Amino acid sequence: MPRSGGVITALAFAFLSSGTIAADPLAVGRQMLMEDNPGELWIDQGKKLFHNKRGPKNASLEQCNFGLGAGKLEGASVKLPRYFADTGKVQDLESRLLTCMEQLQGFQRNEVMKRAISRAGSNGSDIEALALYITSRSNGMKMNVTLDHPKEREMYKAGEYLFYRRSGQTDFACVQCHGESDKRIRLQDLVNMTDQKQIQEVVSTWPAYRGAHFVVRTMQWRLYDCFWQMRLPELKYESDTSIALTMYLHYQGNGAVMKVPGFKR
Amino acid sequence: MKNSAWTVLGTVALIVTGCATFPDHATTRQIAEKMVGEDFTAPQPAQLKRLAQDRSQQICSKIGGAKLTQDEAAEVTRLARDSIRFPSSGKYAGDWKRGNALAHDGAGDRIQFGKLEARKENGGLCQNCHALAPGEINVGNVGPSLTGYGAQRGNSEAIAKYTYEKIYNAWTYFPCSNMPRLGASGHLTPEQITHLVAYLLDPLSPVNKK
Repeated sequence: MPRSGGVITALAFAFLSSGTIAADPLAVGRQMLMEDNPGELWIDQGKKLFHNKRGPKNASLEQCNFGLGAGKLEGASVKLPRYFADTGKVQDLESRLLTCMEQLQGFQRNEVMKRAISRAGSNGSDIEALALYITSRSNGMKMNVTLDHPKEREMYKAGEYLFYRRSGQTDFACVQCHGESDKRIRLQDLVNMTDQKQIQEVVSTWPAYRGAHFVVRTMQWRLYDCFWQMRLPELKYESDTSIALTMYLHYQGNGAVMKVPGFKR
Repeated sequence: MKNSAWTVLGTVALIVTGCATFPDHATTRQIAEKMVGEDFTAPQPAQLKRLAQDRSQQICSKIGGAKLTQDEAAEVTRLARDSIRFPSSGKYAGDWKRGNALAHDGAGDRIQFGKLEARKENGGLCQNCHALAPGEINVGNVGPSLTGYGAQRGNSEAIAKYTYEKIYNAWTYFPCSNMPRLGASGHLTPEQITHLVAYLLDPLSPVNKK
């Protein structure tokens, strides 16, 4: 049995013997994880990266427009992804960040992308810290993604289609693991993304500190990692596929109150 | 005259509201399939073919989990049955000990950081979704419990054949179920599947212990 099984078994026994927890001994371990979230440290890091002058153009990101006007962060994340007229694209937070880092600061988009998803146990990437900082400025606000622009509706429907699209040697689409409640892969709880309450819990808790990786992870990483487990080729960072799925999920999660960083196993 | 004016107005209104609707399924499919074609990378170009859907996968990708028509269910079942290849040994049940290891192995064939996971053989993935031997806690519940599988069914030739077919291509019996078509997709070899059959059926296997 893998190592983690032993730890959880021990936890489960601790609870069963204390006689206070009946229904779900695993919930206790999860609660313990929530109480002290190292992800908070990344917020300060992201704040510095946002306000400091950086890159070949020696500029900050203070003029970046995330949809509500240049530099306006409060309430911006809860409306993403959305259509941006200047790029002619539907963008999520991370792809919009790339646009600003390229245009305002002069960074090479491809170079930033290569490092966007950090290695486990590292200090994390600039994108991870920035995404968390910017999202945290919408903490306490409700997810409110709209489908006003035809391109937004296109993205939403494409995301829905992709959520149910089975392929590869596991015959998996998203829904095979995320279509029913109270399911687990081994000991890992699976979120039922067809249940509004559960999907709200997801969209309001990314970026999140990932305990097993010791770094903050973003929604782009979350999707990339699912495709890896599905035995499919690697999902490109800021690809339309990733943004379509995010559009679909975020819209389904409308009404959720943002509270980042989340804390994941 | 008046009536036709209203008709024109109504038509205009319809067209305007029409703009605020979603693209139809055929359009969505075209847009999304184009994305799938452009948005993935793999160390070997041939591995990108993993994203292409076969006929059964297309049928089994209904939005919102809508029910299959009778014809669709029949087609998936027929394609599944036709896909099955039996082991060259002619025996459905192999070595339960090797099956035990395979059932608890969730690795193999994943692609990360531009590399294909290097493995002698793929894991069987069973533990991810199924309860196995009694008392094992690190098991999933996406699929039904397999604890006592052989103890409940016996290990006749007919049960062994059914079990082999079920693992080789689960859609033979349950079209479009969540279970991967492990043999048909090439994830597992026929020989590996015989070991899993033995693991499920052999009275000595931990699955069938009290």
